[in-house]
Amino acid sequence: MRTDALWVEKYRPEKISEVLGNEEAKATFVEWLQNKRHVKKAVLLYGPPGVGKTALVNAAANEFGYKVIEMNASDTRTEKAINKVAGPATFFVGLDRFSTASKGSLLFLDEVDGVAGREDRGGIGAIVKIVEESRIPVTMAANDTDLEKIRPLKKVSTLIRFQQVRLPLIITMLRRICAMEHIDAEYDALERIAENSKGDVRSAINDLQSLSEPNRVLTLQDTLALSSRNKDISMDETLRGFFSAKSFAEAATMLSRSNVDYDDFLLSVSDNLPRRYDNPEELAKAYDFVSRADVFRGRIGTEHWHLLRYFFNYMARAAAVSPESYRPFDFISPPIRIITLFWTKGKRTMLENICAKIGLQCHVSRVTAKNDFVLFIKAILEKKKSNSIVTWFKLENEEVEYLLKMNKF
Amino acid sequence: MTSSEEALMWVEKYRPKNLDEIVDLSDIVQSLKAFMRNPKTMPHLLLAGIPGTGKTTVALCIAHELFGQNWKTFTLELNASDERGIDTVRDRIKDFSRYSRSGFGDVPFALVILDESDQMTGPAQTALRRIMETSSRTSRFILICNQSGKIIEPIQSRCAIFRFSKLDKKAMIAHLEHIAKKENVTLSPEAAERIVEYSEGDLRHAINALQTASVYRDGLVDEKTVLQVIGEASPKQVQMMINKALNGEFVDARKIMYELMGAYGFSGSEIVRQMQRELFKLSYISPEQKADLTSIIGEYDYRLTQGANSDIQLSALLAQFGKVGKAKGENR
Repeated sequence: MRTDALWVEKYRPEKISEVLGNEEAKATFVEWLQNKRHVKKAVLLYGPPGVGKTALVNAAANEFGYKVIEMNASDTRTEKAINKVAGPATFFVGLDRFSTASKGSLLFLDEVDGVAGREDRGGIGAIVKIVEESRIPVTMAANDTDLEKIRPLKKVSTLIRFQQVRLPLIITMLRRICAMEHIDAEYDALERIAENSKGDVRSAINDLQSLSEPNRVLTLQDTLALSSRNKDISMDETLRGFFSAKSFAEAATMLSRSNVDYDDFLLSVSDNLPRRYDNPEELAKAYDFVSRADVFRGRIGTEHWHLLRYFFNYMARAAAVSPESYRPFDFISPPIRIITLFWTKGKRTMLENICAKIGLQCHVSRVTAKNDFVLFIKAILEKKKSNSIVTWFKLENEEVEYLLKMNKF
Repeated sequence: MTSSEEALMWVEKYRPKNLDEIVDLSDIVQSLKAFMRNPKTMPHLLLAGIPGTGKTTVALCIAHELFGQNWKTFTLELNASDERGIDTVRDRIKDFSRYSRSGFGDVPFALVILDESDQMTGPAQTALRRIMETSSRTSRFILICNQSGKIIEPIQSRCAIFRFSKLDKKAMIAHLEHIAKKENVTLSPEAAERIVEYSEGDLRHAINALQTASVYRDGLVDEKTVLQVIGEASPKQVQMMINKALNGEFVDARKIMYELMGAYGFSGSEIVRQMQRELFKLSYISPEQKADLTSIIGEYDYRLTQGANSDIQLSALLAQFGKVGKAKGENR
C-alpha cells in the first residue's frame, strides 16, 4: 500500500461539479442553500455511506464561501455538548461575515442517525432546537431515515435522498486517479473494484489505493482478495470457520472477528449442530454449551454487553467438542425457526382463535383452553361432527374442519 | 336464558352458581359466606391452588352471590395470560371502574377477577398493586393463581389468602356420578375411578374426560371407553418427540418440536411441562431413568427462564435425551 496521503482526502471534490452522480440531489441542495432557506431552515441528506453527502456539503461550502462547523457521531451528543459546540456558532454571526469573501458559517451535523437514546439524552431534541433557532444554514447527514428516533428532524428539514453512485462514474473516476498517480491498471481490475464497492465511492478509492503499488500493473488477479478483506465475514463463512475450528482458541478467535448478528448465529449453529456431530454424546455435549451460551445471550439483553465474552466462550467450547470428527457439510440456512414460524402462521392463528372462543365460554385462558379442552373437543367432534357444542362455542365450519384434521399435539 | 346460551360443555353446565352448591371446600366456603353477609367487609382475595380445584368457580360464585342476575355488569373477568401487558390490564380496569362505580344494592364496589395472575412479571405486579390501591374505593379484586409464592409480598399482604388443595377422590367421584345421572349416562365405578386417577385431582379435566367418553358409546361409560379417551386425548406429538429423542433420532424429534411451537403455538415452558407429564406414562423406561431425565428436564426448564431462545434450550434438552437413550441402549 502507498503510504503517502490518503487518496480519499487528496481527491476530495472541491467543486460541486466534481461530486460524482446524484445530480438531482445536488441541484436540490444548491437550490436550498441559495434560495429556499426560508422554506425549511435545514436539510437532511440521506443515503448509503460513501455516496458523497459530506463531500457535497464541503464542496458547496467551498464554492459559496461558507465556513463549515462540523460535528459527527464520535462527539458525544448530549444536549449540553451540542449547545456548547453548535450553540455559539448559531447564535452569533461570525466576524468574517463582514468580509466579502465569506458568507459566514454553515453547521454540518454528520451521522445524525447515530444519536443514541441513552448516552445522548436529549440529543435529537437539542438538534431540533438548534435548527429552529439557528441563524446559519444547518445541514445534516444520515444513513437511515427510517429510524423512529430521528423522525422529529424530518419535520424541520428538507429531505434530500442520495443513491448509490453508478458503476461507470466510479470506473471513470478510478481511471482518472490512476492517471494522476501514474498507475497501470487493467480495466477489469478497476471494474471489479467498482463493483465490489456497491456504489460507495469512498471505499472504491480506498481499495484502489490499498491494492496498487508503484511500477506494477494492477491486474484482476490482485482484486480477488477484495471481498473478504473488505466486507464483514458472512454467516456462511463464520459457520464454516466455526464448525471446522481445530481448537477452542481457533473458534474463539473466529467468533471475535466475525460481525454476524449473534441471535442469527446462535440459531444457525443450533440448526446445523446435528450435521456437525452425529454421535449423540458429542451432540449432547455441544448442545449443552450452546444452551449455556444462550443463557448468556439472555443475560446480555440489550445492555450488558460486557458478558459477551462468556457467550463467546461457551460457543467456542461447543465448536471444539471433537475437532477430529469434522467433515465438511452443507449448511441449513436461513434458520429453521423462521421458516417454520412463517409457514405455520395460518394454522397457529386458527388454533389461537378457537382457543379464544373456548376461553370465553369456559372462563379459561387461551393456554388452558389449548391444554385442557382442545383434544377433548376434537375427540367429541370426531365421534359426532354435527354436535351442538359447535354452535355453543360459535365455531366456524373451517375451524371445525381444522380441529378434525389437526394432528394431536 | 335462551337455549343457545345454555352451557353445553359440562364443565360450564355443572359449574356451581352459589357457594352452597360447592362441595368439598367447606372451610373456604364458610369464611367466604361471612363476607357475603356483609359485603362491605370483603377484602381483596387471593385464591391459590393447582388447576381444576374450583378457584375460578368460587370467584364466579362470589360474583353471583354479590350481584345476582346482573353479575356480568359488575364483574370484570381478566386473564393475565391472555392480556398483552399491564397497560391493557390497567386500561381495562380503569374503564371498568369508571362505568360501574356505583356498585349494586348493598355492595359498594365492582368486582375484578384476575385469573392466572401468577403469570404476571414482577414489574407488572407492582403496577397491579398501584391499580389495586387507586381503585380500592370502587373495586374489589379476586386474584387467582397456581402458586401464591409467585405473587409479590405487597399484594399478598393486601389480600385474604385462600388455599385450594387437591380435591378429594371420593368427592370427585361423587361429582362425576352426579353429572352422569343428570345426563343419563351409565358410569361404571371402575370407569369413574380411572377418570379420577388420570385427572390427578383436576376436576375440570375429569369432567371433560367424562363428557368425551359419553359420546363414544351412546351414554355408556365403562373402563375400556375411558382408557380409549385417555389415549385419544393425550399429547401424541409430545410422546413421539420424546421417543424419537431417546432413540437418537434428534433431527426428527426437533422437527416435532418446531411443529409444536409453530403450528400449535406452544411456548417452550408448556412443551417442557408436557414432556414431564408424558415421560411418566412411558412404560419402557425404568423409574431410575425417569428420575434422571426429570433432573435434566428441570435443569433446562430453569435455563428456559434465563435464556434468550426457547427453541435452542429445547433442542439442547432433546440432545441430552439422545445421550441418555444411547447409554440405555448400550446397557441392554
